[in-house]
Amino acid sequence: MSNRDPREGSAWARICRAVGLAGLALFIVAAFTPLPSLVERWLAIPARLEPADALVVLAAGLNNDGVLSNNSLRRALRGIALYNKGLAPLLVLSGAPAQTGGRPEAQVRADLAGELGVPPAAVVLLGTARTTREEAVEVGKLLKPRGIQRILLVTDGDHMARALPLFERAGFEVLPAPVFDTVYDAAGPEDRLSTSRSMLMELGARLYYRAAGYL
Amino acid sequence: MQELFILGVVVLTSAAAGVFAVRGLAWSVGALAAAVRATLEFVGAGLVFFVLNLVVGVATILILRTLGGGPVSVYVVNDVALLALSLLQGLAFQCWRQAARATGGTLR
Repeated sequence: MSNRDPREGSAWARICRAVGLAGLALFIVAAFTPLPSLVERWLAIPARLEPADALVVLAAGLNNDGVLSNNSLRRALRGIALYNKGLAPLLVLSGAPAQTGGRPEAQVRADLAGELGVPPAAVVLLGTARTTREEAVEVGKLLKPRGIQRILLVTDGDHMARALPLFERAGFEVLPAPVFDTVYDAAGPEDRLSTSRSMLMELGARLYYRAAGYL
Repeated sequence: MQELFILGVVVLTSAAAGVFAVRGLAWSVGALAAAVRATLEFVGAGLVFFVLNLVVGVATILILRTLGGGPVSVYVVNDVALLALSLLQGLAFQCWRQAARATGGTLR
């Protein structure tokens, strides 16, 4: 005769209860405590804004209507602002067309750069790469023949830890220029959940890049 | 502040529902523990389906990429709809399980 409490149920029920409890605990921590912002701050790579040979602005995608996504716009504006500060003579804008077709993200960003005073001769477009690894390889092919060695890399803070070693592996001296100089505290549960989600996605991408031998 | 307000509202409505259930519907307080266990099982089943959906989704995209099926971003699985549907899958699966138990089906 079994001594097990019948309320405990089957193995499946026990697994589900354990997973459910862990999931709810994770949800409460992610939504209602400052932990996501603390982890984001801890993982952040600080900006090193020094003169370089080129600014490289990584892609972040277009919306389906062909407009820059929020992340893409933020990265582009950061790159344009650093160019206008005179930190590099060349602005490399990355971004392939949306999966639904249309103009490449890089071209849309170049139009924005032109409107904000960046001369067309200073802009280099990279409109084919669709992953961070492809961007590092393609930027290497594009800039190495020009003798460019030192680049300012513009991307989001959580993406920097994966992008930076890829560009170093492509042979560049990389100066990180994250979109924001400081990590801001998330405002409210939804914002915290969004931060947690971004970090988990980036963690998954890093694990995949490590498993594939890219990092 | 926002989080305290949200938690406060949820605690308030939960307390009101609890009072109504005990006094108005004469539900036993002891049954609440079983309800909490069932809730955790529903959530857990949904999360198991979520992980399964993520693994299948990412694997499918990587296979499509390998086969040259065009540029498909892994980020397409980063959609809150996948979580919502997974929770529904978990709910339906658990309801089916309970129905099977009620009709004498085999449980593992």
